[in-house]
Amino acid sequence: MKFPFHVIPGDELPIYRQLMRQVVEGVAGGHLAPDDQLPSQREVAEALVISPLTVKKAYDELEREGYIRTSRGQGTFVSAAPPALAEREKRERVRATAQRLVREAFLVGLSLAKVQALVEEEDAALRKERRSMTDGPSKRRQA
Amino acid sequence: MNALELRDVRRGYEGERDVLCGVSLDVKPGEVVALLGRNGAGKTTLLRVTMGLLRPAGGTVRVFGLDPRRDPVEVKRRIGYVSQEQILPGDLSIDAVFEIHRQLFPTWDRALESQLCRRFEMPLATRLDTLSVGQARQVALVCAIAHRPELLLLDEPAGGLDPAARREIIEAAISLLSEHGTAIVFSSHQMADVERIAGRIALLHGGRITLDDDLDALRESYSLAVIPAEGTNRAAIEGAEGCVRLRRRASVWHALFAHTPSQTRDILRTRLGGAEVTCRAITLEDLFVEMVEDPS
Repeated sequence: MKFPFHVIPGDELPIYRQLMRQVVEGVAGGHLAPDDQLPSQREVAEALVISPLTVKKAYDELEREGYIRTSRGQGTFVSAAPPALAEREKRERVRATAQRLVREAFLVGLSLAKVQALVEEEDAALRKERRSMTDGPSKRRQA
Repeated sequence: MNALELRDVRRGYEGERDVLCGVSLDVKPGEVVALLGRNGAGKTTLLRVTMGLLRPAGGTVRVFGLDPRRDPVEVKRRIGYVSQEQILPGDLSIDAVFEIHRQLFPTWDRALESQLCRRFEMPLATRLDTLSVGQARQVALVCAIAHRPELLLLDEPAGGLDPAARREIIEAAISLLSEHGTAIVFSSHQMADVERIAGRIALLHGGRITLDDDLDALRESYSLAVIPAEGTNRAAIEGAEGCVRLRRRASVWHALFAHTPSQTRDILRTRLGGAEVTCRAITLEDLFVEMVEDPS
């Protein structure tokens, strides 16, 4: 079982949104694979010292959005096929980060071309990380 | 039936202005409400009125439909209360205090008592007046929850405690929540604790509840706009749709809006034209400060 959660006190996002984001990002970054089991709501609440109702809210929303599924008596798992977002939703989801990015770049005087290069660098790093996750340890030994 | 129902509750102290000037608050079973407010805002008074320790000067108090002044025994059996100050007799040992509670409360749960004693590593034979503040608070907490109350009132449960002791108290409250769905009303200045356990916040200010909403909804539907004061007139901001509070901080206005940051940005852009406006989501601590500071 994986425990993909942590709490950032004083964060801009409410705690249930933080938990949701950690699952969505875990799926996107390959840290969470389809059918991985997630800890029970109670385990999350007690480990992070947060209200069980907050965890329930995050799990309910994630289930509604199709990222996780709960089987009665068996537990909660990452969905076999996590949802594909509509193009507009994808853009909206990334927009806030993009806004912050361009503002910070403006403040420190980084050109748009350099920001684009930076984004590409990060993208390459993420792809590399994903490849090593999916290849598994046996293939890595061969290489 | 609501766990707690306050209607227009008024209460003051002799020779002073009323601390509570018409407070109304409903708490449903299983709800966790954080009572916020500055020092002296009346949080303790409100909790003491709820317990039946103080008589309200006006309005009504109902705990599971009962009047705590009329049915004090029944109400106290269904409530657990941890006050800020130590009110248990200091010359008794921890175990002697527990023994009194075992006899007072028919629903006292010995298993829960021992579980909490183990968790807190409680020195049962020690006299209360020789305990540290943290240990004394833990004893008070066991006394408040081992009879499995349906409503738990905590007055500054973290006050005066170091971070580790504070965390232990919060952990105990959370186990209680996940096992029994007890309704909790707690006052606190620790915004991190409030975020961890509260589902709803009620802000007591000027003798009234000035803000009462779901915590996540507040965090997601409010924003703070910072607007340069030079060249912007007060009325233009105040008149903007959704403006809740406005105050001057040095060379800028702080405007609290009941809208998301992007909605607020749009509204202000239309209204103020080219002014350099920044809008951001608001943390609980900022929200608190914006709501209780003088608007000067």
